[in-house]
Amino acid sequence: MNSPTHRSAPPNGARWLTQALEAEGVRTLFGYPGGTIMPFYDALVDSSLKHILVRHEQGAALAANGFARASGQVGVCVATSGPGASNLVTGIADAMLDSVPMVCITGQVATPLLGTDAFQELDVFGLTMPIVKHSWLVRSVDDLPRVVADAFRIAREGRPGPVLIDLPKDVQLADASHLPAHVPAHVEPPPAPADAAIAEAIAALAAAEKPVVYAGGGIALGDAVQDLREFVEASAIPTVMTLRGLGALPPQHPQSLGMLGMHGTRAANMAVQESDLLLVLGARFDDRATGKLAEFAPFARVVHIDADAYEISKLRSADVAVPGNVGHAIRALRAAFPSPKAHQDAWRKRCAQHRDRFAARYDAPGQHIYAPALLKRLSELAPADTVVACDVGQHQMWVAQHCRFTHPRNHLTSGALGTMGFGLPAAMGAQFACPERTVVLVSGDGSFMMNVQELATIARCRLPVKIILLDNSSLGMVRQWQELFFAERYSEIDLSDNPDFVALAKVFGIAATRIDARDDVEGGLAALLAEPGPALLHVAIDARANVWPLVPPNTANSTMLESNPAHARQEIPNAIPA
Amino acid sequence: MQYRLDLVLQPAEGALLRVIGMAERRGFAPRAITGAPVATDDGRWHLQLVVDSQRPPETLCRQMEKIYDCVSVQMTALEGASA
Repeated sequence: MNSPTHRSAPPNGARWLTQALEAEGVRTLFGYPGGTIMPFYDALVDSSLKHILVRHEQGAALAANGFARASGQVGVCVATSGPGASNLVTGIADAMLDSVPMVCITGQVATPLLGTDAFQELDVFGLTMPIVKHSWLVRSVDDLPRVVADAFRIAREGRPGPVLIDLPKDVQLADASHLPAHVPAHVEPPPAPADAAIAEAIAALAAAEKPVVYAGGGIALGDAVQDLREFVEASAIPTVMTLRGLGALPPQHPQSLGMLGMHGTRAANMAVQESDLLLVLGARFDDRATGKLAEFAPFARVVHIDADAYEISKLRSADVAVPGNVGHAIRALRAAFPSPKAHQDAWRKRCAQHRDRFAARYDAPGQHIYAPALLKRLSELAPADTVVACDVGQHQMWVAQHCRFTHPRNHLTSGALGTMGFGLPAAMGAQFACPERTVVLVSGDGSFMMNVQELATIARCRLPVKIILLDNSSLGMVRQWQELFFAERYSEIDLSDNPDFVALAKVFGIAATRIDARDDVEGGLAALLAEPGPALLHVAIDARANVWPLVPPNTANSTMLESNPAHARQEIPNAIPA
Repeated sequence: MQYRLDLVLQPAEGALLRVIGMAERRGFAPRAITGAPVATDDGRWHLQLVVDSQRPPETLCRQMEKIYDCVSVQMTALEGASA
């Protein structure tokens, strides 16, 4: 049968698009075919693009998302109209909130049928408007070159994010022989901040006695990891990181106080609360980082440097606003602070003492496997450049607290949207982006089941993703909040009827082992990492285990719980000592 | 507090929805809207949008500037207006 895009046929819109993706440098894309996107899938037959057929469109969007997070390149996903398109939505929203560059392509009913409630017609252009940087409903094939060039440019430029191209079927089939070949657009980095603003920032930092660097996801997005490290090395300013900033400083760096916020370290939160100057680099005062905003860093002036001017003074008014290129700004600061300031020595010492005094402990009592200790051991056993993806919940916070990241792009975590089900497809995408590296998924029994179908994709592609499934047979983070803040009235958190995860993995053709004793951790991790193909380690943990420290919601970060105050009032003080 | 936003928008599909949606999502209730495409300005929309909010209006202006179809935005506080 002759297809509309057979090699000998004149190129149509779909063929033009696959060639444009090739010209753009896209090698891998994730998707799921259906009625209105069939011309595109027909054109794929003659294309060099490597299409990964997932088992659910949400898996496609989150795999493209993980691919982009790990590589820094644009992730591409494809779906048909209607439910195919709506299934992408969570993955697109996740990319929007975490500033992940993606191009999402959806089929759409033919233009004469638009607005008629045709089969699988859905206004995905309208549906996704709040969760994309930009989007297009392409009504004419003549618009394709401009749209595709703009799409890849917009996804990457400034603060990255997802864009959506909705492509009616007749546009895909239209003659495109007259269209020029696609030329990738040049993307300019964000402009350098104004000299006057940088000078003001330098002056503020020099005058401070208790400065703290507060580094966020914008460090990696701005390719400023090395700049930050050199600046902190030179200035020796104590540094805290957000969830998405973790890895900006290498593990065990003398100035690193770890993560701030709700599940941050005591040393990080104490430093911020006592600080007289916060140097905010590519961060946005997220509520999980600040706790009660009105009581966040109450003594600090704020110097806020961010590529997105909107973030400056959105939640916390900046005393010195420095919109623009974060890397450029950090290099200017580095030049101004070639060595530590003597008048900040006492502060440095205090922060270091707190870091040592409140370091995480791994000698938890009991016989159950202690997840923090297992994750610490994972980081010791796995290669330093291992990519660790995780899902959302207690295990996500344990990963942030106890895994050691050598670069923020090695830590794939759904920070802002908190997407359960993120981990498995994201790990899959990361493994495609980094085939030579170890990719580990740490998941929980709740999250894992949300995109468990992608085990089939992993098995089919023989992707050597290593899965650590921390199973407490419950929705642990919800259970923890019900225990602490809802008077132990447990509501719909019981997952004790989980499937047999070892058997489940094996059904998909994936090697799997279960461990439930501390003595099994070392061997279990070693065997998992030694497995040449995909493998799952099912880890039974104590359902009563909680994530500590914890700043209760709507509370200042100075109030950090280390245990349930209703159970152990005398154990550990719940407030930062004066 | 009420503010008037004077917006110039590209004549692109969805441009109106983007700016009105942005205002509402960011906590600025629309109170009045007037505007039309202007033939002498390449068909761009010239739109006046009156919004009401207790939030700082600068944050909305900066969000509007991030909308790719938004060519320009100017904000004016409306004296004496009440919610």
